[in-house]
Amino acid sequence: MTSSRSAAARLLGHLGGMLLIVWGAATAGFLALKLIPGDPVEVMLGVQAQVSEETKDAIRRDWGLDQPVLVQYAQYLGRLVRGDLGQSYQLRQPVAETIASQAGPTLALTGLAIGFALVLALIAALLVRGRRWNSVVGLLELVLVSSPTFWIGLVLIAVFGFGLHWFPVTSTKGFAALVLPAITLALPIAGILSQVLRQGLEAAATQPFALTARARGIGYARLIGRHTLRHAAGDGITLSGYILGSLLGGAVLVETVFGRAGLGRVTLRAVIDRDLPVVLGIIVVVAVLFAIINLFVDLAHEALDPRLRVAS
Amino acid sequence: MLTSRRLGAAVSVIAASALLAGCAAPSGPVEQSLTFAIEGANLSAGHMDPHSSQLDVSALVGRNVLDSLVAQDTDGSFVPWLATSWEISDDQLHYTFQLRDDVTFTDGEPFNAEAVKANFDHITAEETASAHAASMLGAGAAYVDTTVDDEYTVSVNFSTPYAPFLQAASTSLLGFYSPKVLTESADKLKTGGPDVTVGSGPFILTEYVPDQELVYTANPDYNWGPENAEHTGASDIEDLTIRILPETSVRTGALTSDEVDIATNLTPNTIDQVGDGFTVKSAEYPGIPYSIHVNESYGVFKDPLVREAFSIGFDIDSAVDSIFFGQFQRAWSVLGPTTPNSYDKSLEGSWPYDAKKAGELLDQAGWTERDSEGYRTKDGKRLSARWIAYTPIPDDRAALADVIQSDLKDIGFEIKREALEPAAYNEQYGPRTYDLTDWSFANVDADGLRSHFHTGGFQNASTVSDPELDQLLDDAVATSDESVRTGLYEQVQQWNAKEHLMVPIYVPSLLTGYSDTVKGLTFDLYGRPLFYGASIGAE
Repeated sequence: MTSSRSAAARLLGHLGGMLLIVWGAATAGFLALKLIPGDPVEVMLGVQAQVSEETKDAIRRDWGLDQPVLVQYAQYLGRLVRGDLGQSYQLRQPVAETIASQAGPTLALTGLAIGFALVLALIAALLVRGRRWNSVVGLLELVLVSSPTFWIGLVLIAVFGFGLHWFPVTSTKGFAALVLPAITLALPIAGILSQVLRQGLEAAATQPFALTARARGIGYARLIGRHTLRHAAGDGITLSGYILGSLLGGAVLVETVFGRAGLGRVTLRAVIDRDLPVVLGIIVVVAVLFAIINLFVDLAHEALDPRLRVAS
Repeated sequence: MLTSRRLGAAVSVIAASALLAGCAAPSGPVEQSLTFAIEGANLSAGHMDPHSSQLDVSALVGRNVLDSLVAQDTDGSFVPWLATSWEISDDQLHYTFQLRDDVTFTDGEPFNAEAVKANFDHITAEETASAHAASMLGAGAAYVDTTVDDEYTVSVNFSTPYAPFLQAASTSLLGFYSPKVLTESADKLKTGGPDVTVGSGPFILTEYVPDQELVYTANPDYNWGPENAEHTGASDIEDLTIRILPETSVRTGALTSDEVDIATNLTPNTIDQVGDGFTVKSAEYPGIPYSIHVNESYGVFKDPLVREAFSIGFDIDSAVDSIFFGQFQRAWSVLGPTTPNSYDKSLEGSWPYDAKKAGELLDQAGWTERDSEGYRTKDGKRLSARWIAYTPIPDDRAALADVIQSDLKDIGFEIKREALEPAAYNEQYGPRTYDLTDWSFANVDADGLRSHFHTGGFQNASTVSDPELDQLLDDAVATSDESVRTGLYEQVQQWNAKEHLMVPIYVPSLLTGYSDTVKGLTFDLYGRPLFYGASIGAE
């Protein structure tokens, strides 16, 4: 009885937190776009457009841009509650449609990138032992983390695309076309993840329970698999939540270098063009994703660490 | 140890299989398919419709689908296309076109006088909010309406003579959509796509992924190419893919590694990587060269002495030569040398770099004191000009600005440059609250100067208002006598050489590289590739 009630309360708490995150993100985005200068109608028509002021005013009225900011904000929140993300100024189509059509390529890209990053980070964390190799890998991680994504992409294209012809660069269809962009996006993430994982593993290995386990005679692989990796994974999972959020930023660059469609480029364009409905729509969708990921991160922690379950 | 090795093996297998999967590249190119890489910026931001967009790229991709009344030959003359003949009334107010009667749009609609009228009505309609095409048609100045005389005869009527009309009518900006699209999907034209971007052209848009690619297939019924085309019937190119690759180095690499057959918007610093087996076509843009527009009405440039000092106060020759690797030539006039029937060659060499004279002019203008940073002052105010530029700013133009700033600093003239996003840029451009700004404007007709120099012109960044100049520009547009027009435009160019309201810097060229396997490629007067008539052949 008590446990189910507390689970329900926890769930409600999570949901309330999610709503708060989404509302906060939507509001912050709205304010930011209203504060930076630039008239969306002027941008919509182009820098050198020859259009009368009457036409511009008509467009402003059409989009409700002639209303006071507070009214615009209230209307926007009202639409949001009804699940309506509005209509893009530039693309002249519903924002939900824009996001839905561009989400696929970005999800495929970021999904594969996370996969690559995890594999690379695990390879580095599990196989690298010994001080010398540790410092080599540490240096590599540092290079990856500090290299601009744009540059990594160009180097990979030059070597594996145009040089060795292993991967198509200008085709966008099929798995092969996804590999280089995903690796570009994965490398800096792998750098961070493997740093955290390796340090976590090292720290866990010095814990008394690890010593006890070793004393009972279990092998290295078993020690990692059953004990220390679980400890080290905690930080990695927390970090993954943050990394997922940063993926969209990385996707902007990767999608530009590789000439791929996707949410990243749509976001960039929308910000530059002051396409408020699109920017806000993406902010809301990302905020929801973030909230869900956070929820999963919490649940994963509980699954990994029995102590958390007892405490709550 | 054994287990650790097994773990390692497992991981390597995973990694290797991922790699192998990646190696399964798609099969080789299909016969008669052609891939064209473009920079493509902004196309997805509502610029798929040449009727409303002013961007080069809109005209470029629009050409594949939209045909025009006439075509302009490389010598500047006009030849029949969808119009078999045309007559201009004696008062030059009515253009009457006889149309082909065998043309159908790719959705089955017939092409006729009604279709022409529907398109010109669309271009000039308020809702279209056309940024360029409407003014090319003469709307706002001379255009009255389009009337249907009979099924295959159409007249375009003007209130005052409008000489650039045939030139405008030859561009894809005044090209024809299927009338059905104009009634049913007018609101979707800016976004574009299959079933929306529908014309009578040699290609049919079959797939469009914004920011990624446009896929076309040949229009099998096409048999109405312009008279100057050597090809007849349907295009030999069955599949045409336009890939949007914003990064110049990627476009160049894609070309040289045979991933694409043609790549355009190449830059001077990358074309030396294009080696054997490729041709680079360099076409100087006609129209207004890359220039710095000097705002007469805002700050220090009200004084003509300061304007002249500015124009000769920095070394254009060496800057252009080093930044563009000798690929682009320095500009002397507000029109590029390839603008038909108008370029004033006598201006070449007439206002060379002269820092000493620039300094004297500034002294004469009263900017004689110097402040602690070495800049000139007058009445305690620093000689300073604010240059606004809209982002993204290409590296070469940023480098040019650096040279200009540094040269002018030497004569005590401060140039402050602000890179602004288009939205923020507009905030200043609208009320003209800046001293300098910069752009080039490609236009096959010298009439492009009217929007820049005429009182109230929509690109009049210099805030010029001079009744005599207005008269020259109005007279030039109202006569179709080429020698009279040339004389008038020479006077306009001379006028600027005295007033220095636009400082021309260099004549940009469209650099397009293509593989030697591409045969029969032709280019329009802007240097844009035309795919009708092209084919893929063995070397």
